[in-house]
Amino acid sequence: MSIALRGIGKQFGEFAAVENIDLDVPTGALIALLGPSGCGKTTLLRIIAGLETPDEGQVLFDGRDATLWPIRDRNVGFVFQHYALFRHMSVFENVAFGLKVKPRRERPAAADIRRKVQSLLELVQLGWAGDRYPAQLSGGQRQRVALARALAVDPAVLLLDEPFGALDSQVRHELRRWLRRLHDELHFTSIFVTHDQQEAIEVADTIVVLNRGRIEQSGVPGEVYDLPRSAFVHRFLGQVNELPVMVRDGRAYLGPIDIGAAPAAGAANSIALIRPHEIEIGPETAGWPATVIAVRVIGPIVRLELCAEGRPANEPLEAEISRERYEAERFSTGQKVGLRFRRWQLYQGGEAAGASLAASPKSLDG
Amino acid sequence: MAAADARGRGGRFAAGRLLLITAALAFLTLFLALPLLAVFVQALAKGVTAYVAAVSDPMAWAAVKLTLLVAAVSVPCNLVFGVAAAWAIAKFDFRGKSALITLIDLPFAVSPVIAGLIFILIFGTRGWFGGFLRVHHIRVVFAVPGIVLATIFVTFPFIARELIPVMQSQGKDDEETALSLGATGWQTFWRVTLPNIRWGLMYGVLLCNARAMGEFGAVSVVSGHIRGLTNTMPLHVEILYNEYNYTAAFAVASLLALLALLTLAGKSFLEWRQPELRHARAQGGDRARRKYP
Repeated sequence: MSIALRGIGKQFGEFAAVENIDLDVPTGALIALLGPSGCGKTTLLRIIAGLETPDEGQVLFDGRDATLWPIRDRNVGFVFQHYALFRHMSVFENVAFGLKVKPRRERPAAADIRRKVQSLLELVQLGWAGDRYPAQLSGGQRQRVALARALAVDPAVLLLDEPFGALDSQVRHELRRWLRRLHDELHFTSIFVTHDQQEAIEVADTIVVLNRGRIEQSGVPGEVYDLPRSAFVHRFLGQVNELPVMVRDGRAYLGPIDIGAAPAAGAANSIALIRPHEIEIGPETAGWPATVIAVRVIGPIVRLELCAEGRPANEPLEAEISRERYEAERFSTGQKVGLRFRRWQLYQGGEAAGASLAASPKSLDG
Repeated sequence: MAAADARGRGGRFAAGRLLLITAALAFLTLFLALPLLAVFVQALAKGVTAYVAAVSDPMAWAAVKLTLLVAAVSVPCNLVFGVAAAWAIAKFDFRGKSALITLIDLPFAVSPVIAGLIFILIFGTRGWFGGFLRVHHIRVVFAVPGIVLATIFVTFPFIARELIPVMQSQGKDDEETALSLGATGWQTFWRVTLPNIRWGLMYGVLLCNARAMGEFGAVSVVSGHIRGLTNTMPLHVEILYNEYNYTAAFAVASLLALLALLTLAGKSFLEWRQPELRHARAQGGDRARRKYP
């Protein structure tokens, strides 16, 4: 089932939770609604589910206006962050719930229910747990039961509200991959809400970044990461270093580095955002002189904190290099190095100013 | 040295623990067990025959029956009301919610005597509906309906108050899940909400029942003290006591105490019958049992 939102708005008292949202979710897509807390992503998901009614706009299911359909008529599966398993029912009964509450005409026979529930439990690798109670399961197992329960009624859409938010990182990683596989096997349309950019990038086909009730940008993960349309998106999808752009004699500079002709107006208050892996560390003589002030080895990558000349000491730049590079060069605290930028993106008043730029060798001479 | 220190500290902790337990037990004995025991001792002071004679007195039996009747009517009424009110308050947002919460608390704030007087004022001969009731030959005050009304008023908050925090802490996720799985409102209530709150509900019913059987003040005002007709057990006990008939007074009091003990026993039996209930209590019981201040 395809879902379309047209001009959706919802107020809670004075607070506009979402404003003027337009979104198309094609059949079979896996979409992540990504944003900081309070950005309206959960409200949007609940509006799609029918748990909230929008004040403005339309929700279309396969082109039909579903804005006022009650949740039980929408054929959506909803999975909560805290599982919402019925604690007084066994795992089996939890999964069977959606089948057992069907009107008598549509209700499958008891034997069919048993067969279906068992196969769903096998699907979520919990075939052995039918007799257990939710309290006897771990968080990851509970969330898989919640998924099996949602899938039992053959939903056309699966909606997940921070489904892995309450789990520890190991289990989270495993469940993400598992959800992706499940989605690819079963081909339902899925929308999940998360505040974790890693999760969104790892699982989704399309990322929709929300901020203050509006869509900032949507697109495939790589595109949103590499070509952020605003400083907010750039900052939200991963680490960034922020540098003010200086203008001298019609040229723009980051520190001593010439980054080209100054943009016409207002270049003085624009900023450059640079990701840690876009900083190149070379000998002291080349580029922007800096001092290594901290080295942290994090598995396959090594993060360096650098104090560039002329920058305040309490705002070090963060650079990431590969472990191999580190093993070869052995940067140490106090060492003098020279910085160059492989890539940067300029923003003026939060908006992207021009295309993202790649450093040309010439700009390093500055 | 360190080991000895630790042992010494452990010893002090053990002593402290012992002291606390002793204090608690002594307090319980002095203020709960002893008075309860005293009731039965006094009741049986003149021998079993006198006790049997006192409790088999027709007036005493009439009081027992009336008390049970009043509890049997008022507890279910407040059960329905309490669940509905707690449901509305915990799961929905609406205008006037805080006013409703305050109203529910009113019977706790108002003295039971005033509660009784309110009903006299409304349903008494000179009350607002007095004329209407007289014309239609309906007796409310100084009759069973008045006693039931006063009891319902006084025991009004017990169940709602017990359920509101339980329902609030459980949130709406379970209900929303049930609806998304295609359940109707009724199915959601019976299969999801009710099982989730049953511990709080049972505790509320217990408190409500205990109070319904034991209520004195409000009932005393509206009852009219007609022996064999409008005397509940607490009122009967008082009358007997005022007549210096101690054995009979304590005999009826012991029956009242027995009823209370029976309710407690019933609850323990339910707990013991259903291991899954014990489980539920271990999980969320402390919350469900949070006492009303």
